[in-house]
Amino acid sequence: MKANIKGFFKPLVESLIAIIIGMLIGAIILAFSGYSPTEAYVALFDGALGSKYGWAMTLSAATPIILTALTFGLGARTGLFNIGAEGTVYFGAIAAIIFTNILGNVLIGLLGGIIAGLVWMSIPAFLKVFRGVNEVVSTIMLNWMAYFIALYIVLQKIPNPDDPNKTIAVPVSARFPIVIRGTELSWAFVISVAAALIAYYILWHTTLGYELRVSGYNERAARYGGINPKKAVIWSFLLGGIMSGLAGATEVMGRPPSYAISQGMANIYGYGFDGIGVSLVGRNHPIGIIFSGIFFGMLKAGATAMQIEAGVPLEMVRMVQGIIVVTVAIPGLLDLLKRGVRK
Amino acid sequence: MKNRGLAVFLIGVLLFSVAISGCIGGGEKTETQTTTPQYAGKIAVVYDVGGRGDLSFNDMAYLGASKAAKEFNLELKEVQSNTESDYLPNLRSLAQTGEYNLIIAVGFMMTDAVTQVADEFPDQKFAIVDGFIPDKPNVVSILFKENEGSALIGALAGLIAANDGKDKVGAVLGIEIPVLYKFEGGYRFGIKWAEEYYKQKTGNDVKIDLLYTYTGSFTDPAKGKTAAQAQLGQGAWVIYQIAGAVGLGVFDAVDEYLKSQGKEMGPPFAVGVDSAQDWIKPGVIIASMMKRVDVGVYKAVEMAIKGNWQGGIMELGLNEQGVGVSTIDAVKEMFNSLPEDTKQQKLKELGLASEDELFAKLEETRKQVPDWIWQAVAELEEKIKSGEIKVPMATTKDQIEAIREAKTWQEMEDLAKQWESS
Repeated sequence: MKANIKGFFKPLVESLIAIIIGMLIGAIILAFSGYSPTEAYVALFDGALGSKYGWAMTLSAATPIILTALTFGLGARTGLFNIGAEGTVYFGAIAAIIFTNILGNVLIGLLGGIIAGLVWMSIPAFLKVFRGVNEVVSTIMLNWMAYFIALYIVLQKIPNPDDPNKTIAVPVSARFPIVIRGTELSWAFVISVAAALIAYYILWHTTLGYELRVSGYNERAARYGGINPKKAVIWSFLLGGIMSGLAGATEVMGRPPSYAISQGMANIYGYGFDGIGVSLVGRNHPIGIIFSGIFFGMLKAGATAMQIEAGVPLEMVRMVQGIIVVTVAIPGLLDLLKRGVRK
Repeated sequence: MKNRGLAVFLIGVLLFSVAISGCIGGGEKTETQTTTPQYAGKIAVVYDVGGRGDLSFNDMAYLGASKAAKEFNLELKEVQSNTESDYLPNLRSLAQTGEYNLIIAVGFMMTDAVTQVADEFPDQKFAIVDGFIPDKPNVVSILFKENEGSALIGALAGLIAANDGKDKVGAVLGIEIPVLYKFEGGYRFGIKWAEEYYKQKTGNDVKIDLLYTYTGSFTDPAKGKTAAQAQLGQGAWVIYQIAGAVGLGVFDAVDEYLKSQGKEMGPPFAVGVDSAQDWIKPGVIIASMMKRVDVGVYKAVEMAIKGNWQGGIMELGLNEQGVGVSTIDAVKEMFNSLPEDTKQQKLKELGLASEDELFAKLEETRKQVPDWIWQAVAELEEKIKSGEIKVPMATTKDQIEAIREAKTWQEMEDLAKQWESS
């Protein structure tokens, strides 16, 4: 029990210190560029947490990145460096649009996202287990393949005839209801938190989760203990696929105003990569990921306020946020590296 | 061990805060210099993901908004969008404050977001550039008759080619969206008009083909360069770029082609778009089709401030100076709106000593084209303005196909009348 508390508090304290250091560095850069750091940070926190609207923005921004972080986190727990969430998000979104246009129902849309995620993630899983292909290489390549295949589908197969700039939209009957009117917070947030809780339950309260984690710590020991590490790897990929497939689906079903994919996939691009950072900050722990996802969401929501209220240009806002994110991710990264070296 | 780490950390914090407090003082100093204490109101501009610094669309919007802000003594707030999902939050956060006399959304991609926010905040006035939101009293949609301006470019390009005994001109376009059909259709109309004008003037029959490429991007100059190189290889004599930043690659391709021929000035020429882009590569760019986003934005602000607000469509054509062929004066105005160090750097890149030298070179570029051609373009302009000639405005795939198949400009004009009456 004592070890457990220590295992919880140490990362928390480390993260808090990292946030403070990151903010201090950001403050210096802001000040040297002629902007008031106090004004900027007050705007950031006030915009993201100071009102019901701000909270809604923060949580809605956290929704997709919690899910993609779970993909990376589940992989990392099994000793994998799975960065294929990005491509999986595209197919999750496309499947959700196609499925809901056939049958306008939220559950059907989520099912579409799950199936797309499972199918796409089974490719690197197969390559890893049966051909020994390193998942870093395969998922990077698959991300690019996904990008161009998805682009083709978006442009050629499901474009909106009235507005060629985007795809057909998810029908009204399959959209997530908005929780607070006049915000973007939809019930999709609940899905992502539930997914994180389920991932936590699987990892620490089921035999499968035990097998996943043991394979991550030491493959040989796992085999000695009667665990098939191949099975663990496949499960880790597939569960991860479900998570980022859902991220794509919830994004098109839950974010106003367009409920569609726009050309160049501009509105769903990048969530997979953001997820890596979110997972590192959350120490690849599903519960940690919920909080770090909300932290990232806060930075996103606060960016608007920093521009409008403190007059800091977007480029500067992003730079400061980037610095904070990097410093916050460092402890998690070191953790991951240490474990890799030990193995 | 632990204590030492803590001590180092605390000292670090101390140093940081000292450094910062010094800087904050500095920050405030600059602030008092720049803020003007009095203003009659506030306006806000929300840029799309392209953002400021594109030397065309978004910068033109800023030009109009800043001019209006200065003239009407308004505070101008600029907001940039990082991704497409920022449009709605950006607009909402501004509208929520209730402080702004007008919120201007730059770019048709914000149409959905503006539609939604306009319903949520019925008392807030909005303007959208290029977006079509016809039936909301609190939204004005600023649209342009790009077809009219492009017709003039078509006439210019067609006559330059005909005059040099060539039979092809080119167009490099961005993503295939309805707005670009307006450009393409107008350009085709102008080329056909040039064919007939040339025949009447010289008695020689000419046929000028259009090579056109939709690159599928507004942001990748490499794509524009490849497309333009292919067109030059096939003999295109003037290439009209309608592709945002992709067009910068078109300018490069024509520039390199000229250099490989040992020439410093065209033909072949490129044509710029949206702002007066001639200064970007003097000698290469013969003129630009100006889409005066600045004029539209200025008019919208004026309307909102002076109390004669009217929601709906504001359509600007040749008559309203919403579109037109660039003049040297227009280039000067655009160039002078750049920050001073950018100007100096640009001149250095171009290998020119002063602004005067730049404008002299632009004059010389224009002299490569005989006077009668410029006059012919002016003639067409007058005829369109007076309503004697009607340029078709294609906004759907079917309409642009019909124009592509038309053999003469009169046929296209018939299409224009047909669409107008329906």
